[in-house]
Amino acid sequence: MKIIKDKVAKLSFVALLITMTAAMFYAPTASAHGEKSQAAFMRMRTIHWFDLNWSKEEVPVNDTMTISGKFLVFAGWPETVDKPEVSFLNVGIPGPVFIRAGSWIGGQLVPRSVSLELGEVYEFKVLLKARRPGDWHVHSMMNVQGGGPIIGPGKWVTITGSMSEFVNPVTTLTGQTINLETYALDNVYFWHAVWFAIAFAWLLFWIKRPLFVPRHIAVSTGKADTLISAGDKKVGMLFAVGTMVIVAASMGATNEKYPVTTPLQAGLLRGMKTYQMPESTVSVKVDDATYRVPGRAMQMTLTITNNGDSPVRLGEFNTAGVRFLDPAVHEDETSYPDDLLAEEGLTVSDNSPLAPGETRTVEVTASDAAWEVYRLADLIYDPDSRFAGLLFFWDESGTRQMVTVDAPLIPSFI
Amino acid sequence: MSASQSAVRSRAEAVQVSRTFDWMILFTLFTAVLGGYHIHYMLTGGDWDFWTDWKDRRLWVTVAPIVSITFPAAVQACLWWRYRLPIGATISVVALMIGEWINRYMNFWGWTYFPVNICFPSNLLPGAIVLDVILMLGNSMTLTAVVGGLAYGLLFYPGNWPVIAPLHVPVEYNGMMMTLADLQGYHYVRTGTPEYIRMVEKGTLRTFGKDVAPVSAFFSGFVSIIIYFLWHFFGRWFAKTDFIADDAS
Repeated sequence: MKIIKDKVAKLSFVALLITMTAAMFYAPTASAHGEKSQAAFMRMRTIHWFDLNWSKEEVPVNDTMTISGKFLVFAGWPETVDKPEVSFLNVGIPGPVFIRAGSWIGGQLVPRSVSLELGEVYEFKVLLKARRPGDWHVHSMMNVQGGGPIIGPGKWVTITGSMSEFVNPVTTLTGQTINLETYALDNVYFWHAVWFAIAFAWLLFWIKRPLFVPRHIAVSTGKADTLISAGDKKVGMLFAVGTMVIVAASMGATNEKYPVTTPLQAGLLRGMKTYQMPESTVSVKVDDATYRVPGRAMQMTLTITNNGDSPVRLGEFNTAGVRFLDPAVHEDETSYPDDLLAEEGLTVSDNSPLAPGETRTVEVTASDAAWEVYRLADLIYDPDSRFAGLLFFWDESGTRQMVTVDAPLIPSFI
Repeated sequence: MSASQSAVRSRAEAVQVSRTFDWMILFTLFTAVLGGYHIHYMLTGGDWDFWTDWKDRRLWVTVAPIVSITFPAAVQACLWWRYRLPIGATISVVALMIGEWINRYMNFWGWTYFPVNICFPSNLLPGAIVLDVILMLGNSMTLTAVVGGLAYGLLFYPGNWPVIAPLHVPVEYNGMMMTLADLQGYHYVRTGTPEYIRMVEKGTLRTFGKDVAPVSAFFSGFVSIIIYFLWHFFGRWFAKTDFIADDAS
């Protein structure tokens, strides 16, 4: 019986080892950036991205594309996240599959961090040059110091061609045109090889002789001084002096070769130009808002007042980059990512044109699987269970108005 | 053969066993230092060593020698006081830099495709060689700490300048001036390393005009002296053989 038990134990152990080894060969591709895992309130109440446009869906290596659009720095910024006083306009891509050839906020190049103001809208553009072939999820993104990365909507873009053909030409202020992809690489390898060679020579000088046992015996018996000879000291002097001479000479030669060098550039860019949205003549009061868990739908009771001079209708609710549209009012024509677009996701109890001067209370429902897919429903588990978003109204002439909403959200589990 | 009998039967065999033992210890020491030192340096020096747009004339110059003189001091303590081998610093730095090159080439380039010319490691070898030679010539921990530690800090920037200088050539880019290293950092997107994380050119050292690198190097050398002392004692403590009854020290 014991033999059988031992055999079973042994075979089980072998099976476990085989399973674990086999598991090592299964490594599925990570194709996105964990954007769905970011706390829902972070995505809903910090940076609101809108009017986004990815200029291309397929781009060959060395060709360029842009992500452009606007973002609102939400006035109701959560207390649990640091204010965007030091922020960096980034892109969410899996490493340098593109290079960032340029990025602008309000027309100003932003290679450095910027200070953003709460409640303001900014126009941005990021120019990307394709580098590595593949299908990549390309996001807009804002890094906020003390807040972390705030990732915007992403769209799949395909890069075709071969990375070996990628070039990154840059002309320096000294008039030299270089390929930044490979620039100075030989110099890096050369100097590291030189110093490794010198270091290995020093090590070899000592390692070629008997080491640990006889030397330990000598040290233990008080004969340590016999282990370093006058010749060793001369060689040591040679290495030390040689090292300092090479360092000094190479530095001098480098200064002659590159007489013009500047320090790294750093600093915060302030006073970024804001984008002035048309003054909104519509005011919205959120009477209550609930998220119905079984129905994957958010319901809001809104009291809307039209203070303008033309009738308006509610056409879109945008939160965390997910757009819920009422197709009777507005249809997307920008090829916005399908998974973030609920083309018929917005229903309004009475969406007849709201006349100038009229106030109406309506039930608005934003429903789509995106609530679950993008884990926005997890808002009910966040420390600050408030929702926020953008409402877009259109009048008969197609003029758009944007209104922000920000209110507590009550979950409904039945 | 009883346990008290020798495992070797001749002097030639003893020499052969001793040499085999040498290589085994060297291999173990090399890989252990490579792993431990690499983790230590990545955690403390980290981005300053990873990226060219972090290799500035103030903080990189200051931080890298201070955090990298640690293992060389400790390994020197062991190899010198136990074996009179003046290779502790060099073998540590060679191990570190081989580990770094494997990491930068296999991971940074091979895995995530950052060009090697943005993510090559800093050169710490000149300071390490001088540190070993000073210990050998002086046979003094104090002298090695004071002279060697200072030299280690002072040699760092000029030892790296031939590699880094080409990347400090200025470029005009869309109406702004920056160095090629800045441009590398901007071009090659690091989603998790936004620009504001960079700790470069910060501090109050503004009274030396453009010549801040030598001042930073001197400061780094002074702090390296203190760190050398500290880690040398760590090394001596780890190299104790108290657990061997007849060789307690």
